[in-house]
Amino acid sequence: MLADTWYLFGKYMRITIRMPWWSLFTLLQPLIWLVIFGQLFKNMSQLPGFPTGSYVDFFVPGVLIMTVLFGSSWSGVSLLREITAGAVDKMLVAPVSRVAIVLSRVLHSAAQVLVQTLIILAVALALGAATSVNPVYIAMAMLIIFLLGVGFAALSNGFAILLQREEPLVMIGNLMTLPLMFFSTALMPKNFMPEWIHYVALVNPINYAVEAVRAVLVGTPDFALYSKGLLVLAIFAAATLAWAVNAFNSLRD
Amino acid sequence: MIQVSGLTKIFSSGTKALDGLDLNVKDGEIFALLGPNGAGKTTTIRILSTLSGFDSGQVIVAGHDVDRNPEKVREAIGVVAQQTGIDYFLTGRENLVLQGHMYRMKKADIQARVKELAHYFELEDSLDRLVATYSGGMRRKLDIATALIHRPTLVFLDEPTLGLDIKSRKNLWTYVEKMNRELGLTILLTTHYLEEADKLAQRVAIINAGKIRITGTPDELKNTIHGDAVVLSFEQQDHATAAFAYTMKSEPEIKDTLWQGNKLHLYVANGAESIPKIALVASQQGLTIKSLALSRPTLDDVFLKYTGSSLTEAKEDTGDEWWKQWAGKGGGNWNKKWANEADETAGEVGTTVQETQQHMTTPNDTEKDAAAQPPATPATDTATSGGGSPWSPAEMEAWWKQQGGQPQWPTPKEPDKKD
Repeated sequence: MLADTWYLFGKYMRITIRMPWWSLFTLLQPLIWLVIFGQLFKNMSQLPGFPTGSYVDFFVPGVLIMTVLFGSSWSGVSLLREITAGAVDKMLVAPVSRVAIVLSRVLHSAAQVLVQTLIILAVALALGAATSVNPVYIAMAMLIIFLLGVGFAALSNGFAILLQREEPLVMIGNLMTLPLMFFSTALMPKNFMPEWIHYVALVNPINYAVEAVRAVLVGTPDFALYSKGLLVLAIFAAATLAWAVNAFNSLRD
Repeated sequence: MIQVSGLTKIFSSGTKALDGLDLNVKDGEIFALLGPNGAGKTTTIRILSTLSGFDSGQVIVAGHDVDRNPEKVREAIGVVAQQTGIDYFLTGRENLVLQGHMYRMKKADIQARVKELAHYFELEDSLDRLVATYSGGMRRKLDIATALIHRPTLVFLDEPTLGLDIKSRKNLWTYVEKMNRELGLTILLTTHYLEEADKLAQRVAIINAGKIRITGTPDELKNTIHGDAVVLSFEQQDHATAAFAYTMKSEPEIKDTLWQGNKLHLYVANGAESIPKIALVASQQGLTIKSLALSRPTLDDVFLKYTGSSLTEAKEDTGDEWWKQWAGKGGGNWNKKWANEADETAGEVGTTVQETQQHMTTPNDTEKDAAAQPPATPATDTATSGGGSPWSPAEMEAWWKQQGGQPQWPTPKEPDKKD
């Protein structure tokens, strides 16, 4: 299974590297947000009770998570394309591990967003964000980002198999990412939110991811908060992956 | 190599795709499944290649039960599906190597095999180019090469030449024959090109509505059509022509009659001798023959006999409408509604008519008008009465049956038991 996953992962990576423009385009949106939100909410940091000195510092973890969401939530679209093109059937008639087919796609997607978030982080630092540059902390943040990427790519692949069509899949992708992001502390600190959103944030994996990344990158590291996020995301990634593999196995008509 | 008995498959939509299909493919032969679109060809291939499950029956492929031992089956077979399934953004070599890894072959073995197959399919020069730059024929060849990487003993080719130009098609045929002859591969191919089945296959099975109608060598199948085929069409389309067909049916010299759209097929022992008689009877009945052709029976005639539609004129499969997947899944049940409406319209013009045939006829406006109202009961000696509103062939058939005519498509003979 691991060997199968490795070869298929290699195939997807190779294809991605051959289309670098596509990966760059998915970077464009978080970059724009980094600049626009950074400017738009600049003065919010002057409000009493704002946790960090400048808004950009606060927002960098949020924009990293956004990059993950926009990068990984469309993974299912290319699965549908592969199904239509007959590539999935071609794998299925071979004695390939079924788990490997889903796993390789999800890992590829997570690896892709990992590179993207590193670029965004570099840009943010270049724009003067005062986030941590300690490689250990960055690696810890990247672990969270990887798990979130796995989770959302798995969700997208699972929905792709259930829905079998691109249009509703894109709709679900939007539905998964945008509202959930506003129900997290990506843009707005917790004490600025209405109370009912706190409860939504409690079950929102995106919120845990933002909090955990912020815990290690911004201000004094908070390892308790980070560990909680890591645990939640590990469970989230494992559960969604199991669900997607299960959906894929039931694909046989 | 393949033993299938009583294979039944019902889709979740309730459609019976396969209805007690029996199939037996021998070691080392090229076997063609010939049938119209929707007959169950692709479904059969998908079940045989472990891609689809089935509801009942027994399927043994390469000595293994596909239901109990799918992994063993997968190792023994190579599948070339209708969609190529090779990656356009990889080179030919990368596609082949990846496929080798999928079959868990050793690296050195893969290298050797890639070289061998590239040479065999004359792809050496383009092996390191992206597949996106390949022509359709080259992609097909690469697709077949990837299916052969693990040295299977049995290869499924699902409509291998669909969408290829004539030159590439002929080229591919030589490869299929070569693979069978030189590599000793058993090949099961589906096609709706009659000449393809005729040229390539040692045995052909005609499949329609999820059942095998007849199996045999192309020659055996042609011999089930007795003698020559005389194909007639008339200036007019009315009950007089129906009556003519009816008269012909009772003529001992005529072995078989079939309507195909507005063309009447008469099967006779000796076409050249029968034509003058047929023409004479037609003119006696006041009919003007528009065209008349004499031909040796082809697989198309066999096909027409066993499926009720002509393959060469059947419309191309355009695939499912996109909304069909949504129908019944919260997308409303419009497809059912439309299907019902279509059924009702079909019911008006006689239930035995195949849909394809209605499309094949060239309905002029008067025919359409006539189809809207039920045909008036014709007088018994319609042959001379001539007049009346023009009928569509479908209506003529309905009337013909009313007159006690034999069911139009003779019940197929039992397929050879020893197969």
